[in-house]
Amino acid sequence: MEERLLLFTVRGEGYAFELQEVAEVMEPSESYPIPKAPVHFVGLINFHGALTALVDLGLYLGKGRQARSQGKFLVLDPRLAGLALWVDGVESVVPASTILARSAGDGALCTERLETAQGNYRLVKVETLLQALEQGLAGAA
Amino acid sequence: MDMSQYRSLFLSEAREYLRTINETVVGLEETPEDRSGIDTLFRGAHSLKGMAASMEYGDIVEVAHRMEDLMLRVRDMGLVFDSGVADLLLEGSDLIERMMVDLEADREPRTPAGDLPDRLAGYTPPPPPPRKAADPAPAASAAEPAPAQATPSAASVPAVEPAVPSTPPPTPVEPERTKELEVTSVRVKTELLDHLANLTGELITNKNRLLSINRDLASPQLGEAVGETAKLLRALHDEVMKVRLMPFEAIVDRFQRSVRALAKKSGKELHFEIVGREIGLDRSILESLVDPINHMLRNAVDHGMEESAERVAAGKPARGVVKLSVARDRDRVLVTVSDDGRGMVPERMIASAIRKGLISPDEASQLSPRQALMLSCIPGFSTAREVTDVSGRGVGMDAVNASIQKLGGTLAIESEPGKGTRFTLALPMTIAIIHALVVQCGPIKGAVPVTAVLRTVELRRHQMTRVGNRSVFNLDGEALPLLSLNRALGLPLGRFPDGIVPLFVTEAKGRRVGIVVDRLLGQHELFIKPLGRPLSKLPGLGGGAVLGDGELITLLDVADLL
Repeated sequence: MEERLLLFTVRGEGYAFELQEVAEVMEPSESYPIPKAPVHFVGLINFHGALTALVDLGLYLGKGRQARSQGKFLVLDPRLAGLALWVDGVESVVPASTILARSAGDGALCTERLETAQGNYRLVKVETLLQALEQGLAGAA
Repeated sequence: MDMSQYRSLFLSEAREYLRTINETVVGLEETPEDRSGIDTLFRGAHSLKGMAASMEYGDIVEVAHRMEDLMLRVRDMGLVFDSGVADLLLEGSDLIERMMVDLEADREPRTPAGDLPDRLAGYTPPPPPPRKAADPAPAASAAEPAPAQATPSAASVPAVEPAVPSTPPPTPVEPERTKELEVTSVRVKTELLDHLANLTGELITNKNRLLSINRDLASPQLGEAVGETAKLLRALHDEVMKVRLMPFEAIVDRFQRSVRALAKKSGKELHFEIVGREIGLDRSILESLVDPINHMLRNAVDHGMEESAERVAAGKPARGVVKLSVARDRDRVLVTVSDDGRGMVPERMIASAIRKGLISPDEASQLSPRQALMLSCIPGFSTAREVTDVSGRGVGMDAVNASIQKLGGTLAIESEPGKGTRFTLALPMTIAIIHALVVQCGPIKGAVPVTAVLRTVELRRHQMTRVGNRSVFNLDGEALPLLSLNRALGLPLGRFPDGIVPLFVTEAKGRRVGIVVDRLLGQHELFIKPLGRPLSKLPGLGGGAVLGDGELITLLDVADLL
């Protein structure tokens, strides 16, 4: 099956995940504080019974806090992580074949820059993001 | 015929046989004439060989075949079961286990049998030590027991061929089990049991939700129905947990092996006793117990137990006793490691802790003998006069204590100088569904397993005093330090306008401490769920749960947080 990408925005900038790494896009729901976690870990949410950490991706990327009750929760595949990312919104799902050009990413999290008809997006690798978040948590001790 | 589908069944059954072989070998070393033990070993090796042959695992067949031959010589040809036989059989068992690991990983065998089959086949007992000239000549019948005559000498043993006629070619055999067991028990995948436990946990969470709803509705009918459901759920939970329980037996062979190896290495004479093999523990707890128990046993053999000469000089039997016992105590399991060795001296522990800067002389003056013994659980503490390569560098008891607290359990140490030491682990039966004390600190609600809570206290301010720069309060004649959970969580300190300070008493770093919280919210039955990546990397959290009103809380590992 052809690779598909989920395009979303964080504080107005475009990002992308491989669609297979995302389980669900949720409306914002109530979250509960996590002891001793860094500030970008906004809380715990209940995702169909699974306790899932909610990270404000904009806050993590140093772009400021997400306004309450706005945006969307991108819940990653529970087989990969117990993690949801709070983003501005989801733009679309596109087949990889529609990517016009790919170039090297501009940071540790963004492995590639994707040029599409809708604009430019940074491809985020879930494993890289997870490792970075885990390092931050271990350092929070 | 494709046999791969039967591989997991083979591995599971073969491991049971290996476990039996390991345990029986260690037991036979103490009572080498035990006929039933010899028969068990013979049958075990025979069954392994047959099962492996039916699966066409030639390497395993060869090793098991030679082990069987060796036991045939012990059983029928008078070869004495000595430590040489024991070593070879254990080596064979280890080799087969490594071969099975390769099979399990579905990779080409990386573990050759090497010369072990030849050594098993060609084993001859070592010659008796030369007699002193003054020794009277022994009677002819006792000089060389009949078995040695039946055993070929080393020179007569061919290099490759077995020294005794080999048994007939291997044929597949059915594992030897009782008929009753075959009829009444089935093998179930552990994932299925975990799923069953998870579903039970979710039902309990939903029951709590119904209870919460009915607090607003106040419907007697709903209350009655939920009450009945709660009873049924309790019964279901008990049954599901029983199914998940595995006997302690499942891990004891590792301890027998390690104690045997340690005793041999340190040259100490000791008897190792295990009591309560049949006691069941949750599988996840059982797996987490292996390292802590191994460490305590290492300590007992290496540091606790004296050399034989020292024991005799102290009026003790030359042979020491190390005992590992498991017992049920209501909904807890008590695991005890005890020895009749030199014991621990509280004064020496205190002096050592002061010297290492772990506690101040002021703090030391407040310690009871019991607290002094628990100093061994402070990171970096060790009273071992010299570091050995057996129990390492004294960095282990703090890790043991931390592991036990992570499981919601406690560690207690009792010791009497010259008489011995006893380490007791008190553990919950299960860690999936637990009773927990729910506390509030600022905006955060957290749960602490009741097994880690010694008691709750509502303290009045005047009951608090200061020792040095620490707040303490008196509990049963012991001054316990007061620590703030808010501070440990990085939250503003609580205010107590009514002058009552809520706290719970727990053990942290080997000492009883009072943990002050904003509010004590009572005991709840919780289904603990894992947090997964990335939160599992956050220290101080042991999972999370859903309360009846849908609120999510985390399970706090208080010792870790402090």
